[in-house]
Amino acid sequence: MNFWLTVFRQVGRNLRQTWPSQLMTLLTVSLSVLIFAFFYLVYTNMLNIGDKLGDDLRLIVYLEEQPGPEMQEQLRRKITNFDEVEEIHFISKEEAYDRFIKQLAQNKDVLDEMPRDFLPASIEVVPLKTLRGLSQIKLFSDYLAKLPGTIKVQYGQEWVERFYSFTRLLSIVVLLSGNLLILTTVFMVAYTIRLTIMGRQAELELLKLVGATNNYIRTPFLLEGLLQGMLGSTLGLLSLYLLFDWIKMQFSGPGLLSLFDFTFFPYTASLTIIGVSILLCTVGSYTSMQKFLRI
Amino acid sequence: MTMQHPESETVMIEMIKVSKSYPPDVSALSDISVTIDRGEMFFLIGMSGAGKTTLLKLLCSMETPSNGLIEVAGNPIHKLKGTTLARMRQRIGVAYQDFKLLTDRTAAENIAISMEVSYKKPQIIRKRVVDLLEQLDLSDKHNTITGELSRGEQQRVTLARAVANSPALILVDEPTGNLDATTTERVMKLLNKCNSAGATIVIATHDDSIYKDTTHRVMELRKGRIHTVSGGIRT
Repeated sequence: MNFWLTVFRQVGRNLRQTWPSQLMTLLTVSLSVLIFAFFYLVYTNMLNIGDKLGDDLRLIVYLEEQPGPEMQEQLRRKITNFDEVEEIHFISKEEAYDRFIKQLAQNKDVLDEMPRDFLPASIEVVPLKTLRGLSQIKLFSDYLAKLPGTIKVQYGQEWVERFYSFTRLLSIVVLLSGNLLILTTVFMVAYTIRLTIMGRQAELELLKLVGATNNYIRTPFLLEGLLQGMLGSTLGLLSLYLLFDWIKMQFSGPGLLSLFDFTFFPYTASLTIIGVSILLCTVGSYTSMQKFLRI
Repeated sequence: MTMQHPESETVMIEMIKVSKSYPPDVSALSDISVTIDRGEMFFLIGMSGAGKTTLLKLLCSMETPSNGLIEVAGNPIHKLKGTTLARMRQRIGVAYQDFKLLTDRTAAENIAISMEVSYKKPQIIRKRVVDLLEQLDLSDKHNTITGELSRGEQQRVTLARAVANSPALILVDEPTGNLDATTTERVMKLLNKCNSAGATIVIATHDDSIYKDTTHRVMELRKGRIHTVSGGIRT
């Protein structure tokens, strides 16, 4: 009988004998992976949404007066002095009025009494895609506000700030749930292996006396940890996929969620999560063995 | 490659001035020097507490000597570690006085353990287990949990496990302590069979019925010291 066949028989026997605690550990690992992967999935999707929204981000600089061609050139130079930009549009008072009329559609009558030049002229600045951080946008906005003849700058500050705060909060939650994953997998697996070792102390002692090598004794425990990590993380990710699919189906109709394209993890990310879980569980198993296996 | 003296090829156990003491100052064995040849059957007798079990424990490296040299098959067993020690132990079968059975496993599983660790094929293990159980009159206990067996039956399972892997050295501690005359005869028959097949056997006992008419050497221990060595001739 070769080494691995013997080891697998040992693992099978261990799992049969200690299946309640093994099952509990498996569920805990699955749940931890599920919690972490859930928040991570939300986070990555929020980043995608952020990217998409960033594509439409533009800063509107309201001006005191409509600039002439020379001033337009001066302002353009000043703006590009700060950073390269994707586009700069000068909106005249009339253009602004026309746009507003278009936006009001059937309610355009409300503007009947208003003169065509009651709206201020403005500059629409589309920043480069590399300029995506909130602080960078803020800096740019402050710079634009200081340009001569500027009344104010708008870019949906409140909304952008809330979005970035939410993303920052999510990144903290992802970090916390990542720590939870590490703690639960390592400690739960270590605890289960410890219980198994304690329960099999007599057998392990006997195995040593009849000539079992250290590898013969240790490998099954390592393999148990590895299996816990592999099965637990796969189960957790599978549950998350089913949940994701269900949510997607539930909200597939018209609504806010349908505006964005929610995606599941790519294969590489899923495999990385499984790989890290396997590693953590094996580490848990190994530490327990080092501590409690007296061979 | 190490050069071996021709004599070391015929010697299985060499003990030179071996002592064992336990803290604080309990001397279990003192100045034991003995040589046991390959294929020899050797009886170790003495009252309880004379040091028989300690001597057997030293031979299988369950304990380390406080002083002296112990060589088994030319290897200083008390200095072996890791895989080398494991391989050596696979060649030594031990029937412990306290049995060391896994009481939640069947008799067959207990016997199989010693063969599993040396990666014997499952069909060979199954055949050997059935054969040994039959020789020890335990065929009907094949699937019985050892915790449910009588002490005499447990003792025989322990012996079966010790000889199962056909080791070169078999150490037996009180093999007949819980057995009737007929079963004692069966046990001795099995040990003699192993001995005829070439195994060196060391039996620690205070049951004089198994050594009184023997032609083999008998060493008596008293208070941890060799009192007499009688009978037999070293081959």
